Amino acid sequence: MTTLSSPPPGSTNRTSEPAPPTGRSRRRRGARAPARRRGNTGFVLACLLPALVLFAVFMIVPTLNVFRMSLYTWSGFSPDMRFVGLDNFSRLLDDQQFVRAFQNTVALLVVVTVVTMGMGLFLAAIMTRQRLRARNLYRFILYIPNVLSVVVIAAVFSAVYDQENGLLNGTLRLLSLDGLQQVWLGDQKIVVYSVATAMVWQSLGYYMVLYMASMSSIPEELYEASALDGASPTRQFFAITLPLIWQSLRTTLTFFIMSAVNLSFVLVRAMTGGGPDGSSDVLLNYMYKQAYTNSSYGYGMAIGVVIFAFSFLVSLLVSRATRREPLQF
Amino acid sequence: MRRSLVLAGAAATVLGLLAGCSAGGSSSDSGKTTLKVAALEGGYGRGMYTQVIKQYEASHPDIDVQLQISKSIEDEITPNMKAGRYPDVVVLGQGRKAGLTETLIKDKGLEDLTPVLKAKIPGENKTVGDKLTKNIVGNLNTNPYGNDQTYLMPMYYAPTGLFFNQGLFKQKGWKVPATWDEMFALGDMAKKQGIPLFTYPTAGYLDSFFFALLADVGGEQFYTDVMTYKKDVWKTPNARKALDITTKLLGYAAPATVGYANEQDFTKNQQLILDNKALFMPNGTWIVGEMAQAPRAKGFKWGLTPLPAVTAGSKRYITTSVESVWVPSAAKNKDAAKDFIAYLYSDEAAKTFAKSNAIQPIESIASSLSGENAEFYKVYEDPSVSALVGGFASTAPVEGVDIKATLFDTANSIISGDTTEDKWQAALNDASEKLRQAGD
Repeated sequence: MTTLSSPPPGSTNRTSEPAPPTGRSRRRRGARAPARRRGNTGFVLACLLPALVLFAVFMIVPTLNVFRMSLYTWSGFSPDMRFVGLDNFSRLLDDQQFVRAFQNTVALLVVVTVVTMGMGLFLAAIMTRQRLRARNLYRFILYIPNVLSVVVIAAVFSAVYDQENGLLNGTLRLLSLDGLQQVWLGDQKIVVYSVATAMVWQSLGYYMVLYMASMSSIPEELYEASALDGASPTRQFFAITLPLIWQSLRTTLTFFIMSAVNLSFVLVRAMTGGGPDGSSDVLLNYMYKQAYTNSSYGYGMAIGVVIFAFSFLVSLLVSRATRREPLQF
Repeated sequence: MRRSLVLAGAAATVLGLLAGCSAGGSSSDSGKTTLKVAALEGGYGRGMYTQVIKQYEASHPDIDVQLQISKSIEDEITPNMKAGRYPDVVVLGQGRKAGLTETLIKDKGLEDLTPVLKAKIPGENKTVGDKLTKNIVGNLNTNPYGNDQTYLMPMYYAPTGLFFNQGLFKQKGWKVPATWDEMFALGDMAKKQGIPLFTYPTAGYLDSFFFALLADVGGEQFYTDVMTYKKDVWKTPNARKALDITTKLLGYAAPATVGYANEQDFTKNQQLILDNKALFMPNGTWIVGEMAQAPRAKGFKWGLTPLPAVTAGSKRYITTSVESVWVPSAAKNKDAAKDFIAYLYSDEAAKTFAKSNAIQPIESIASSLSGENAEFYKVYEDPSVSALVGGFASTAPVEGVDIKATLFDTANSIISGDTTEDKWQAALNDASEKLRQAGD
C-alpha cells in the first residue's frame, strides 16, 4: 500500500517538481534564445534601415559636406574650387561684421533664453498654483503666438515698433512719456533687443504650457505638507516645483537654445534684414549673405561650421551645467 | 523567408523614397526645340512676356518657349542650376539681393553675346547693334570684365535720380536746385517749414545717387577709377569731397529714414515723398508703378531731377539703371537663345514691352513714350546731362568684403551717428584695396 502523503524513498515527485532538463534539451533552449534575438535584431534593423539610410543621405552626408566645403574657396556654381585649408576660419577672426553677428547671436540667445525660460516658469507657476478665474483664456492668449508664422510675427512687431504710428510709441505718447519713444528698428543700440522681444513673444506660450504640464504632475500633498510647515509660495517654488521639474527644464533649455538660433535668422531677415548697417545681423543671416549674395560659398560654409560648433558647445555646456540627480516623488 | 520579405520591403521603400526625390520627367519628343526662358517679374508685370513669346512662337514654329517668371526667380532657378539644369535665357539684372547675375559673372559662367550685336533681328533687316542706343553697351554693366566682349545684353533702361513732388515745389514757389549749394539752401528753408530735405527707401538705393555724384565730383575717369578699385582711390580729395557732400546731405535726412530703411518698411520712406514729409529721394522710374495705389498729397505730381552739380554750369550725370538679359554658358540651346534675344529688340517686341512701360535702349524709342514716362526720359535730351551706366567691376569674390554694402549701408550709421566720415572713408579704402588685389 502506498500513501499519497509520503512518496517512497528514491522516487521523484513528478507533479510538483519537474525533472531537470537533460543536457540536450538545455543546449536546444540555449541555442534557440540567441537565434530569436538575432532574428529580432534583424527585424528591428530592417525596420530602421529606411530611416537610417535617409538620415545618412539627408543629414550626415550634407553635414560632412558643409565641413568639407568650408575648406575651399568656391562661389557656389563653377567647378573652380580651390582648397585653402583653414584659411576661411582664420579670415573670420578679422571680419568685423562676423564678430558683430556673433556678438548679436550670443546677446539674443542669452536675453531670449533667460527671459523666455524665466517668464515661462513664472507664468506656469501662477497658472498652476493660483486659482485664476480665466486660466484657460490666459493660456490660450499666451499660446497663440506659437501657432502664428514667424513672418506674421515679424510683420506684427514691425507695426508695433513703427516710430510714427506704432502701438509702442503711441502708447508712450498717450502716457506722456514722449522721452521714452525710440526708433525701435532703426537705433543700432537697441535693434537687437527689439528683435529679441518678438522672439520671446513667439516662444513664451509654448514653454509655459510645457512647464504647466510638468508642474501639474507634482502631487498636491507635497505643497500641503510644506504649507503646514510654513513655507511661502516662493519657497515652495524653489524647494518643490523647480527641483521636481528640473529634468523637463533641462531638456527644454537645450532644445530652446538650438531653435533660437534658427528663429533669430527668420525674424532678423523679415524685420530688419540685418540692418541698419549690419547692427542686427546674426550668424545665420551673415552666413546666408556671404554664401549667396557675396558669392563666397566656402566662407559661408565656414560660418556654418562655426554655428554648428557653437550650438553644439552651448548645448553641451548647458547640459553639463544643469545636470542634477533626478528626484522621485 | 519572412525576414527576406521584410528586408526586400525595406529596400524597396528606401529606393522608392530616393526615386521620389529625383527630378524624373522626360522631355517631349515633338521635334521642337524647347527654349527655357527665366525672367524676373518686376514692376512691368508678366503679361508682356507671354505676349512677346506668343509672337515669337508664331514666327518660329520649331521653337517651344517655356517661360518661368517670378518675383523671386533666383530662388526658383538656382537649385536647378546647381544641379546642372540651366535655363537658356535669363532676364535678370544686377544689384539684386540674391546676386545671381553677379555670381555667374564672377564665375565666368555667362555666354559671350557679342555675336548677338551683329545678328540680324528676326523679321527685320537691321542688326541688334544698329538698333541699340549709342554707348549702351561697352561699359562695365554689359562688359563686366572690362574687355570688348558683351556678356549682358541691355534689356530695359530707366533713368534714376532724385524724385520729388512737382506739385509741392509749384505750390511753395521753390526752384529745383541745380547745384549743391542751392540744394542745401533749400534744405535749410524747407527745414524751417518742417519738411526734411532727403530720404531714401533703403540705403541700397543710394547707388543711383553715389555713382552720379562720383562722376560729378571727379569726372568719368575718376568714376571708372572708383569702380575698378584703383589703388588708394578712396584717399583722394575727390573721394573725400563726395563723402563730404553725402555726409552733409545725410544730416538733412528725415528722422524716419533709418527706421524704415529695411526690406519690409522701405515703402514708408517712399510714402514720405507722397505725403510731403521729405523733399527728395533717390529712385528709378519704376516708382510710379510701385506707388500707384498709395495715397498722396493734393496736387502731387512725380518729378525727376539729376543730382545737383558740384559747381554751377558743370556737367551733371544721371545714373541709368539697365536690366539685362543673358545666357548661362552651360545652357543647352545657346544658338536658339541668341536668336530669341535678337528678337527681343524687334519693333514688334519693343512695342509690346513699351506698352507695359518697359523701355528698351533702342534708338528713337523715347519719341513713342507718353505721360510721365515721356517726361522722365526727356532728361537724356538735356545737353548738360550725361547718362552713366555700370557699377563696380567684377572680381573674384573676397570673403567678408561687400563694397556696395560698405558704401551704401554706412549711410544709416552716418545718419544715426554710429560712425564717422573718417571711418567710412577708411572702410571703403580697405574694401576697395582687397577687391583690387583679388582682381589682379
